[in-house]
Amino acid sequence: MRLRTKIAALCAVVLATSLSACAPGSPQSDAGPSAPASVDFNSFKGQTLTYVYFTDGPDEQATKDMIAKFEAATGAKVNLQIVAFANLATSLQARLSAGNAPEVARVTDWHPYADKEVDFKQYFGSGFPSEFASGAAATAMDSTGRMLAVPSDVTINGPMINVDAFKKAGVPVPAKWTWDELVADAKKVAAANNMPYAFAIDKSGNRLSTILSQFGTVMIGPDGKNALDKDKAAKALTFFTDLVKSNVSPKDFWLGSGSKYTGANEIFLAGQVPVYLSGPWQVGAFAKSATFNWAAAPNPCQERCGGFPGGKFMIAFKDSKNPALAAAFVQWMNRSENQREVDKTAYWLPTRKDLTDSGVTYANRQSDMSSFLSQINETPSDTWTDANSPAFTASATALISETDKVVAGQQDVRTAVENISAAIDKAIKAAGS
Amino acid sequence: MSVMAPARARGFRGWMRGKNLAPYLFVLPNMLIFGVFTIWPAFNGFNLSFYDSSNGRTYRPVGTGNYTNILSDSQFWGVVQHTVLFTLGFVVLSTVLGTALALMLNSQRRGRGALSAAYFLPVLISPVVVGIIWKAALDRTTGLVNQVLSAIGLGSPGWLVDSSLSLISVILVGTWIHLGFYAVILISGLQAIDTSLYEAARMDGASVWQSVRLITLPLLRPTLMVVIILATIAGFQAFDFVYTLTGGGPVGATTLIIQYIYENAFSYPIQYGLASAAAVILFVVVFAVTFINYAIGRRSESI
Repeated sequence: MRLRTKIAALCAVVLATSLSACAPGSPQSDAGPSAPASVDFNSFKGQTLTYVYFTDGPDEQATKDMIAKFEAATGAKVNLQIVAFANLATSLQARLSAGNAPEVARVTDWHPYADKEVDFKQYFGSGFPSEFASGAAATAMDSTGRMLAVPSDVTINGPMINVDAFKKAGVPVPAKWTWDELVADAKKVAAANNMPYAFAIDKSGNRLSTILSQFGTVMIGPDGKNALDKDKAAKALTFFTDLVKSNVSPKDFWLGSGSKYTGANEIFLAGQVPVYLSGPWQVGAFAKSATFNWAAAPNPCQERCGGFPGGKFMIAFKDSKNPALAAAFVQWMNRSENQREVDKTAYWLPTRKDLTDSGVTYANRQSDMSSFLSQINETPSDTWTDANSPAFTASATALISETDKVVAGQQDVRTAVENISAAIDKAIKAAGS
Repeated sequence: MSVMAPARARGFRGWMRGKNLAPYLFVLPNMLIFGVFTIWPAFNGFNLSFYDSSNGRTYRPVGTGNYTNILSDSQFWGVVQHTVLFTLGFVVLSTVLGTALALMLNSQRRGRGALSAAYFLPVLISPVVVGIIWKAALDRTTGLVNQVLSAIGLGSPGWLVDSSLSLISVILVGTWIHLGFYAVILISGLQAIDTSLYEAARMDGASVWQSVRLITLPLLRPTLMVVIILATIAGFQAFDFVYTLTGGGPVGATTLIIQYIYENAFSYPIQYGLASAAAVILFVVVFAVTFINYAIGRRSESI
């Protein structure tokens, strides 16, 4: 070996060894108030906050309009940064580790940032969570009672149907139906309309959890432990995978999307399927794009009724340049009159207690939004704790990947359920719950 | 002092002249950028592979735990198998078809430039877009390919959803992207071959195939080695077009090593340490394969 090569190799080893001795990351900080802090909305004039946001469509303009009102009311400036949902978590984590936290972010899961989030009770008092509906408020609290997020909109999964296709087939939509009835009706409608499929569902662990719940089980229980009832899960997965394997639900869609979340909205909008299980965030886009009459329909009941919850949260970062302004902005955006205004045009379901009691009048599609809203009361309470568990996302990923293998004929349902249960245990352990 | 100062100055200038620093100063800016944005992150990645982190902010030292976990993970070995099969198929197809294309284009008297540009075009398209285009073209029910096949009675294969076909589809699309690039490299190799050798062979009564086998291929060997090395590296690093074409499916049948690293680093459950360890393993393997390729090439040349 030449001397130059030897020196280069030695340098590389020394650099690698010295790096290995260095712990990466930044030391933990605990900025933010430890005692209740007051917020003076008149003190923010000329100050700026950054709001990292992802959009489902119609909510973007509604949010921009509300931000303009906030700026006019306080004199503060909001720098709205819209990122693709797929890049949201990576982008936020990168900014946090680089010490460049935005003031506020819109997220679907606040747990990964819990150590950096403002406790809203420190700013707005211990009564602040009670301004929100109990189910929604519970999803924003950690195990020690801190309110680390504000639920800005709640979602509940449910089916949407192609009304024109149902009419053409002469099939009425019942006020209540079981899964067997839903599939039988959907098959009749698909056949009468020459549609290739009868039922579509997003490739998503959250959406598949709807079927699990309706068959009587959830993945993580209210005590934070593995609550998967293997027999019920096996029944649910057998029912669902049979639909996909027989192409009643599009098999190519399920297998062709790999490991990625994929919405089946395009299949529904293309008129290829009469029943599509998704959620109210589709209402605004469908109101704009659908070329046929459609409507939200009741969730099918099997062992239990109702849908499966989800939602979006606004979080404020205590390591940002202006955490007080961040907390104030989140609170202002979720005041009763402001949340109602955004909900109306963005087709969001409200999270505030007063608004869920009084209801929201939407610009149009009122009956569809009311249909989704009515599903909230029918949804079992353990689904809220399941969806809110820090271990849910990883468990839902396993639910999808194991279901994939059953659909592809690589394993049976029993093996899939055992693997899902093991993955839930692992996720709970990793989340420290 | 008055005696020492000129001596020192002369010494420094002499040292400068002796070392001939100018070339080093010319490459210094590039090396600085390369060091900061490539070498330093690479070493940091190596460092991270000895820690566990789910958020990139808090780290727990785990020693060689990430390497142990990866090497005992059946999913990883499945991914390795797909990656090796993809790389082998991609390298062989790219090299064989690239050589054939280069020979054809090189013998073309008219329109060689236009044809080369046409074959080179896929290189200029974003791989993400290539994945989306081919996803539409290879769709089982609505794709152009199956519409043509079913029109001539060959059925509608599930190019992207059938586990036995999806990896072949990915190899073909990968080859389609890179073929023009490798052909251009090989054309430059062909043009460097002395034409008098072909004239002499013709006068000796050699057939076209004999000329190719006994003159072209041996003299093209250094260029072929470059193509093989580049294709091997590109094969191991394939990700972007695969991600938009199949998403790694069906059921992981086209998940390659870079997607495995990406998903461990950026999808839940996030495991930065594990992803870094997989990246280190990939680096070692690519380095070893490239070195072996290079060594074999050098040895063949010396023979």
